[in-house]
Amino acid sequence: MNSTGSGNKLGSVIRACRLIRRMLRADPEARQSQFMYYQMLEDYFTRVLRAKEEDGFVVGHTVFFPAEIIYAMGLVPMHTETATWTMALFTGDCSDILASGARLGMAQEICTPHRGLTGAFASGALPHPEVMLWSNMVCDNTAKSGELIMEVCNCPGFFLDRPFKRSQHEIAYLVSELEDMVHFLEERSGKKMDWDKLSEIVARMDRQIELVRQINELRKNVPTPFRPQGFLELLTVDYLFPGQPEALEYLETLYRELNEAVKVGKGAVKQERFRLMTLFIPPMYLMGFLDRISREYGAVSVIEPFFTFWGEGRLDPSHPLESVARKSYMIPEMRMYGPLDDRALGAIVNCAEEYKIDGAIYYADVGCRHSCATIKLFKDTLADIGVPMLVVDCDVVDATVTSEEEVSEKLQQFFELLEDR
Amino acid sequence: MKVAGIDIGSLTTKVVIMDDSKVISYVVNQTGDEVEQAARQALEEALSKAGICTQGELYIISTGIGSRGLQFGQGQKAVATCLARGAFYFFPSVRVVIDLGAETSTVVKVNERGRLIDWANQDKCASGTGLFLQQVAKLMQMPISEMGKLPIPEKAAEITSTCAVFAESEIISHIHRVPPTPKEEIVAGVYQSVVGRLMSLIKRVGIAKDVVVTGGVALGEGLVRVLERELGFSVLVPDEPQIVGAVGAALIAGETAKRGVSQ
Repeated sequence: MNSTGSGNKLGSVIRACRLIRRMLRADPEARQSQFMYYQMLEDYFTRVLRAKEEDGFVVGHTVFFPAEIIYAMGLVPMHTETATWTMALFTGDCSDILASGARLGMAQEICTPHRGLTGAFASGALPHPEVMLWSNMVCDNTAKSGELIMEVCNCPGFFLDRPFKRSQHEIAYLVSELEDMVHFLEERSGKKMDWDKLSEIVARMDRQIELVRQINELRKNVPTPFRPQGFLELLTVDYLFPGQPEALEYLETLYRELNEAVKVGKGAVKQERFRLMTLFIPPMYLMGFLDRISREYGAVSVIEPFFTFWGEGRLDPSHPLESVARKSYMIPEMRMYGPLDDRALGAIVNCAEEYKIDGAIYYADVGCRHSCATIKLFKDTLADIGVPMLVVDCDVVDATVTSEEEVSEKLQQFFELLEDR
Repeated sequence: MKVAGIDIGSLTTKVVIMDDSKVISYVVNQTGDEVEQAARQALEEALSKAGICTQGELYIISTGIGSRGLQFGQGQKAVATCLARGAFYFFPSVRVVIDLGAETSTVVKVNERGRLIDWANQDKCASGTGLFLQQVAKLMQMPISEMGKLPIPEKAAEITSTCAVFAESEIISHIHRVPPTPKEEIVAGVYQSVVGRLMSLIKRVGIAKDVVVTGGVALGEGLVRVLERELGFSVLVPDEPQIVGAVGAALIAGETAKRGVSQ
């Protein structure tokens, strides 16, 4: 398999981050947290590339994987889905890595983050990890992706079996799985787990979750202070930097900025007209357009029940592995990915009421059958409390599924509907 | 106050001139390749029919697939918004509008004030659209107007509703069968296929009476009868189902112009 030129795509991401920081420096409206965010992204991907150049130990891992453990062992994590999404966002085109995935036999019906990430490894757009960690969090594609990545990258891997349901017995089982994974990483990397460091990371992760909750509280204000699509920053920080000092610094800075904005009644858009709930992730390649149209119509996403709205609970640094296991059930996405019960429906109803939602937008990633199955259920639930929901059929990464024009027409229609009520 | 609504579809451009919420003239023309030109031409014709000398006297709102790039008029509105207003104008009892256009089928839910509350549209496949029916008429070697008048038998040929290309292959196979499937049964099968696809859209927004059917395809009686059979009740069809979106646009133009005057 080809791994030459592995820096090409990540190199583009790093250069894009630098360029954005330069642009932010020149923008008087830019917030310090935005600047920090792009610095963090640049550092993250630079660490990955540098580790490959300097014989470091890169650990590839799928989404929602407990990267706290990788950090505690002094290894370099590489979040495969986020790396793929970020490439799509910053390069504006992922057709080559999707084509590469197709050449491996990945069917078009498989979701693009997974087709894309496998294709990214096969084409050399992502550097090959020393080991691959994956799990059944959150979907069946995730459970299978790791096997193919191991084959493509010719590297060993570990599958973390996380029970679907949550009980004391199942938490204990997940802790034993995490212990096995630590042994696997120790054997393969030659590095020992630093349990004190893991406790520190868990303590910071607990604070990180608290900060996101506090930021969400600020977002309840009218007008809301956070940028229209700003929640993607929260998501990425959560995915890439669990329990890391830079994540706390970023979130604390963001909290201060938003608090200041709330104090002076400054909203994220000039005239806030529509407060939106976002269900699922918008197409990455349309982020610039979505930001523009949101500002044009005064529409802001003020809450994302399945992406930024953490479940109840605290993490205990004196029981770090158990805390890591418990956290996997507190992750906002777990409400949607199951078991799908009254918690998910209750969360969207509560959010709609507490955040004074005018409408919800469900970006239906056509490759994600798991989440698409929830569309009607969520739409009916929101309709019962008088909140209309727009469904935009799209793909998170693949620009050939939905054009900007189609999305634009649907959003315009939806905003007219909200205006007309 | 005189206002105009322009609905630029992929096949036809519709212009309606209204005066104090009354339709005083309308035109339905082919859109062709030059959208801007088609819209200007249709507007001039409608103005002429209404006895209005210049466009300068009018407040104009446009809608439809070709309306975004239009270089004249005071604004643009989405199709579903205009369909809701237009259908409510003709039938205040309307709660669901089914618009059967050349390239898109749209189902619109309307509240008791004639405002849009939900919609769903099918724009990814030609099956279930007016262009598909045109293609069928061509295969059957009859004008689409004649096809629309064919009696609908109880027995209908099996035609897929999932893909227009496969549906065409099935129709050809029915035509060349020995003995050939009667054309009424083929057409009934085509209508059932279109209606089958439409029903999934209708169920997405929810069925509620009264249902108004609009768009050029609504001119074909046969399809409307099959739709009624599937729904289990009668639907309402305006005399000119093609101009409903343009009427909605004109009504919005009137409201917007009044707001402008009062401000």
